[in-house]
Amino acid sequence: MTTPSGADDIAGAVSAVCGAGGELRAGGTDVTARRRVGRATGPFVDLRGVAGLSGIVRRPDGSVRVGAMTTLAEVAGDPGLRRSHPALASAAAALATPQIRAAATIGGNLLQRNRCWYYRNAHFSCHQTGGDTCPARTGLNLYSVVIDRSPCVAPHPSSIATALLAYDAGVTAHGSGTLTVHDLYGDGSDPSRDHLLPGGDVLLAVDLPAPAAADRAAHHRSTGRSRAEWPLVEVVARLGVTGTAITSATVAAGGVARTPVRLAAVETALVGRTATPEVLATAAGHAGAGCTPLAQNGYKVPLLCATVLEVLERALGAPVRPRGSGAPATGDRAADAGPEAYAGFRRDV
Amino acid sequence: MDVTVNGVPAEVAADPDDTLVELLRDGLGLPGTKLACGSGVCGACTVLVDGTPVVSCLTPCAAVRGRTVSTVEGLAGNHPVQRAFVAHDALQCGYCTPGFVVEAAAFVDRWRAAHGDVAPPRELIADAMAGHLCRCGAYQGVYEAIGAACRGEHDRDEAAPARIEAMAKADGSARYATDVRFAGQLEGVIVRSARAHARVRVSHPGGAPFAGLLPQDGIVRYAGQPVAAVAAPTRAAALAEAARVEVTYLPLPPVLDAEDARGPGAPLVYATRAVRRSAPRSSDVLPSPAPWQGNVRGPTRMDWRGRTAARRIAAARERGDERLVSATFTTAVQAHTPMEPHACVARWDERGELHLYVSTQAVGKVAGDAARRWGLKPAQVHVTAEHVGGGFGCKVAFTREIVAAVELARAAGVPVRVVLSRAEELTDGGNRPGTRTELSLLTGARGELTALSVDTYGDGGTSVASSVASHARFVYGRAPRRLRDFDVVTHRPPGMQFRGPGGPPICWALEQAVDEAAHRLGEDPLDVRRRWDGNPKRQALYDWAAALPVWRDRPRTGAQRGRFRRGVGVAATNWVYILDRGTEVELTVERGVVVARTTVQDMGTGIRTVMAHVVRTELGLPADRVRVDIGRSGTVHGPPSIASRTTASVAPAARDAAIRLRAALRAGAGRDSVLPVLDGAAGTRVVGRRRRDRRAYLTPFTFDEFHTTLGRGFSGAVHVTEVEVDCRLGTVAVTRVWAGIAAGHVYAPPLARSQCHGGIVQGIGFALHEQRHTDPSTGVVLTDNLEDYRIPGIGDTPRIEVHFHQDGWDHVNGHGVGLGEIATVGVAASVGNAVHNATGWRPRDLPVRPDRLLAGIGR
Repeated sequence: MTTPSGADDIAGAVSAVCGAGGELRAGGTDVTARRRVGRATGPFVDLRGVAGLSGIVRRPDGSVRVGAMTTLAEVAGDPGLRRSHPALASAAAALATPQIRAAATIGGNLLQRNRCWYYRNAHFSCHQTGGDTCPARTGLNLYSVVIDRSPCVAPHPSSIATALLAYDAGVTAHGSGTLTVHDLYGDGSDPSRDHLLPGGDVLLAVDLPAPAAADRAAHHRSTGRSRAEWPLVEVVARLGVTGTAITSATVAAGGVARTPVRLAAVETALVGRTATPEVLATAAGHAGAGCTPLAQNGYKVPLLCATVLEVLERALGAPVRPRGSGAPATGDRAADAGPEAYAGFRRDV
Repeated sequence: MDVTVNGVPAEVAADPDDTLVELLRDGLGLPGTKLACGSGVCGACTVLVDGTPVVSCLTPCAAVRGRTVSTVEGLAGNHPVQRAFVAHDALQCGYCTPGFVVEAAAFVDRWRAAHGDVAPPRELIADAMAGHLCRCGAYQGVYEAIGAACRGEHDRDEAAPARIEAMAKADGSARYATDVRFAGQLEGVIVRSARAHARVRVSHPGGAPFAGLLPQDGIVRYAGQPVAAVAAPTRAAALAEAARVEVTYLPLPPVLDAEDARGPGAPLVYATRAVRRSAPRSSDVLPSPAPWQGNVRGPTRMDWRGRTAARRIAAARERGDERLVSATFTTAVQAHTPMEPHACVARWDERGELHLYVSTQAVGKVAGDAARRWGLKPAQVHVTAEHVGGGFGCKVAFTREIVAAVELARAAGVPVRVVLSRAEELTDGGNRPGTRTELSLLTGARGELTALSVDTYGDGGTSVASSVASHARFVYGRAPRRLRDFDVVTHRPPGMQFRGPGGPPICWALEQAVDEAAHRLGEDPLDVRRRWDGNPKRQALYDWAAALPVWRDRPRTGAQRGRFRRGVGVAATNWVYILDRGTEVELTVERGVVVARTTVQDMGTGIRTVMAHVVRTELGLPADRVRVDIGRSGTVHGPPSIASRTTASVAPAARDAAIRLRAALRAGAGRDSVLPVLDGAAGTRVVGRRRRDRRAYLTPFTFDEFHTTLGRGFSGAVHVTEVEVDCRLGTVAVTRVWAGIAAGHVYAPPLARSQCHGGIVQGIGFALHEQRHTDPSTGVVLTDNLEDYRIPGIGDTPRIEVHFHQDGWDHVNGHGVGLGEIATVGVAASVGNAVHNATGWRPRDLPVRPDRLLAGIGR
């Protein structure tokens, strides 16, 4: 292990170790988990000692720089971020567990490897491990991508990346300079990697543009259990709203493709419309455009549409309702939080 | 590197890439911190780094250089949260408890500093504890304990614990097999087959201790089957040594799917009669002969007028009778995955005697099997299982880690420890077989049950005897019924008996069919059961359930149209009463303390506490004058912790022993305390027996090494379950469960309730989340970690009310029987019926995943 202590000696240490087939270690949660299953062998460059890589800085123009070594717990709990970029804070709060969020970093989350159960099992070889097949494509693909544009079908694992895409955020790297989320991940067609940052490069920070005054944003992670589960589908939406009109929309989805993706058809169906339940439902219905599910994961398409609708409603003020918090005994509509019934929807719009 | 651990600065030599949990347990001798999942999911290894909880299994040592680390040992049993966990019985086996306690301590301190002494909302407790899994399902106690600690109710020392060893589990001092460590001890690892079906040759270049584990015919029948074991000073070195073992495969064609296995020309898992006899068994029913056809074994029948039943059902089908309910139900393979994995430390002493520290539910069986296998006298084998981190049925057999540890220890001449990784545990640590059940149920013109037909195909990999349909023999009166069990064998890991073997799958099918029949009759499902069921104990439970407001006010099925739909479902079950009639309990007076011993073990069920209560009560002694010394061979015979038999066997024997001790001490009859004569009675020893029940037993003789005896009467349960279905996002939240349990006298009510809570949580896992997946082309288990194998967390736990109906067991010595199994078998079916009540859609396939729910209600 190598432990550089300042930004100046990063470059040398990194290129030495990565040249030897090693990797960087931030919070270490993913690297250590992969080391245990034989998918990371080191050597490792530990970034914890490097000064200046963590912290949240708000600039006068309202933009925010989040150091790459800032923990997800700090991102989730930062009062400023919760006001300015609530869907990012919410995505950070919903992922993994409190202990993981206390150790894992925003940079590590963006650069972690995928969670495919074939990739993480040493019995199998695949595109990600130097092979030339995808056992998930022909095997069990219940949790695989439904936007199928690469020989590999592992969904991108980063919830943070999905949020960054919705916020038009970028990152700064030591070697590569400023990158957009698209630059960082490409179109996902390369089946051998989960991001495109060159081996000798170090992610330094995440750059969040200032929010517009009219911005309303929300996030939801669809899972089977109530907590601590990788998403089946995850959506972040950011809407610009003036009066009752939707003036801008960015809607990003995770869990469905090799990279986080913008749902352009949904966005188009929203912009310029009045925010009515019908408009939201119609727009959400477009989320499945372009999806080509595999044998076992067709459910992700309707679930994606449903999750988009959920997030659009929340962005427009619908309350986040804890699971099982008490449905109406008789199914009467007044207490049934359907899109037309919840308090606050019309008020916020 | 420098690190401060529990307030003490230390200079430690550690590989910075190794994990903190290894440093703490092996380097610093602090085994309170447990390694359970190894992937940061379960939280058993949680420690504080500079005051913040982190998972030490994913923390590289490099991350704690110059930092302060606090472990459960650092709390020293002094934190209010630890007392709260003890007072509210927020634990069973205790293996996850140190992690829970460390996290909860940090949370409670933070909460009280910010909000004062008030309880946080339940949702916030669930958020805070989301990084912890408890396989026993003691979450209700955790909610209560954390709430009470936040209210400041446990700031001082207090009353006796519900569970006598609870503080040892909450302060990290309880020792499990995984924690045993001798000087010079080696770590053993098992080499496993990479192929599902092959003739295998194993060779080892020599050097390190080696043991072969191949079956006699040299053929492996599932990927992950043990073939050999090696040992080295550290686990990493042993893994490197394992990589040097040469395994040569002569590949044979595998069959990896139960449908394929039934097809013509499918490769045979067992080609000859001789090897069929070696097939492992996934239930504890009596071996009975069954025909084989290819990979299908069966039927084994439990018919009652089977031909009449079949004829009536065929005729009803012919005429399109609406009163015929016919459907196919499936259940997924469910892994036991106790938080403590299978583990064994073996040591041969200088006299050639064998010492085993094993995580087992059957200390006596392990001792007997070991003596036979290595040609020792029983007195030369010493088995210890002081605390056992859960079992649920998977730690009964004489499993390979025991054989590996013993053989390696003999080869090495030093003690050897073998602990399965979570991947090994989830692959080869045991599972409840999957099932496919074709069920037909016919009601007559007066709403009576007229015929029942159940065909179940067990999907237990290489194992047989998945006895499911047979359980429908003794419910709902004497209507004709044809009940046939089949096993379809494949080249996948074998099933093992799992808490109520066969029970949850038959209930999933039968109790939903009964519900459907009631629905078609337009009747209250409880009324139909009342009419069909002659059992007075369950009748009492039906009365109790019918009076519950949640049942009276349940929604009309299919009436709701909104997104969130509430449903209430019921399921009724019975379970056999089994005991070990050979059970004895030995009491010895040692230094003024009565010490109780028998060959039993406490895997979280609470038998240690039950024994203490019985002896204390009978002898009128304070807590500190009775000690229970169990989890050890070398004393009188006691039962394995299986088939709900422990309490019904041990408690009466303990009482008998106490009565004999009172006589031996000449302390007079009655309940006066024997305390005054205790100090002068050192060395007094008595042995109590499990005296027989009135009206004897259904099986006059015992027929196995466990003295298994079928007693008279069935325990009963009625589960009433409320769910909320989110029809948009496809989730089912189980919000409240009422469990009515008829198992007679309850010896230790808080612990019995805790058992019932756990049974409900496991039932919810079975209903909604748990499913083992294997790769269709290799048979490799894909769900070999606790992210992909999904057990319920605290946020998936409902509010639970347990009602004990204690009548009806006067004939039983002690008036009470076991409840570990009856508490879980009906849960999934009650969830299914509740989902139907909420949505009008009846789930047939388990688990009810979001994709299945959305597809079902979308139809």
